[in-house]
Amino acid sequence: MNGVAPRDGVAPEVAGAGSWRANAFALGAVAARWLLGGLFVYTGLEKAADPVAFLKLVRQYDLVQSAYLLNAIAGALPWFEVFCGLLLVTGVAVRGAAAALVGVLIPFTAVVWHRALVLQAARGIPFCAVKFNCGCGTGEVFICGKLLENFALVLLGVWLIAGCGRKWSWRYSVIPPAAGK
Amino acid sequence: MGRILLEAASVAVAGAAFAFAANELSPRGLDLARNYFPSGAGSSVARPNASAPAPVTTATNENSAAAEIDQRVRDKGLQPLDRLQTERLFHDPRYDDGLIVFVDARGEDDYHDGHIPGAYELDPFHPDKDMANVLAPCQIAVQVVVYCTGGDCEDADSAALLLRDAGISREKLFVYGGGFTDWTDHHLPVARGERNSPAAPAQTK
Repeated sequence: MNGVAPRDGVAPEVAGAGSWRANAFALGAVAARWLLGGLFVYTGLEKAADPVAFLKLVRQYDLVQSAYLLNAIAGALPWFEVFCGLLLVTGVAVRGAAAALVGVLIPFTAVVWHRALVLQAARGIPFCAVKFNCGCGTGEVFICGKLLENFALVLLGVWLIAGCGRKWSWRYSVIPPAAGK
Repeated sequence: MGRILLEAASVAVAGAAFAFAANELSPRGLDLARNYFPSGAGSSVARPNASAPAPVTTATNENSAAAEIDQRVRDKGLQPLDRLQTERLFHDPRYDDGLIVFVDARGEDDYHDGHIPGAYELDPFHPDKDMANVLAPCQIAVQVVVYCTGGDCEDADSAALLLRDAGISREKLFVYGGGFTDWTDHHLPVARGERNSPAAPAQTK
């Protein structure tokens, strides 16, 4: 565990060490890391358990024309989410894993949003009344709730990228300080 | 910032390697090289077989959704069937003689939960386990009716195209567009479990 690791950039949980506020902040960041990681492990495994169903759902977005690319997205993306989720839960390469998940979340939120607009136009119903299985691993959901959830997840991810979530990390960073400067 | 990007890139590469390996090792993993949604492109629209049942145009025209399904099936070079036509084939004496064959394309779990009595199972996403059992009866049959859940479900189209690619003549391949949902909605016979299993006699829902 790396609860007293030296500061690395912005690490607010260490700044006020000793105070209850700093501890609460650090524990909140750990909870965020476990929540984000655990959620991606769960939804990733849900999709990986039935890749054919996920393949059909991804196809509805009409993202790619190539069968190989479509299969690659549907076959590999769930396991990629599981991988990144496990990194967050265990506290390995926390900022990199959070950045990778945010990098997946943002474009997929955009395509889910676009799909909802198409369904809204086709059904002639209010936007927030649109309900469909977006392939997010949680079955049929109302779009507004889904967008809010994804927005919150992106914020959590950005918080972790900013340097939180170090407490109880197994190996917070896998890149030596000299690299990437 | 550069360090974070470098770490994110490292995670992305390692994650992609893990993901593709997991997909490859998983018994349910996808075959990346396979086209799971064949369009049937290149095949001309099938002409109705002389022995095929006459189309029930009123039923088709009254329901735009059914018409869309029929058009989708035709666009793939396959021949659509409506419920009345399918029912007629189901009650045709040739069905018992194996000259008319029904194929269920919904997957193993759905098949065991309930299927049209006598239908063979062919999961178009995992055809290897079923194809050997289905191909011989289809070769003998003069008409093969493939169905899935119905509606937007295109698994019956995919299964029919698999059969066509395996050598079954396009002229004797039909897709029941309404599918199993339409079948059960009209309280038609349903069997459970394995095909013709003595433990799962045909029953009406």
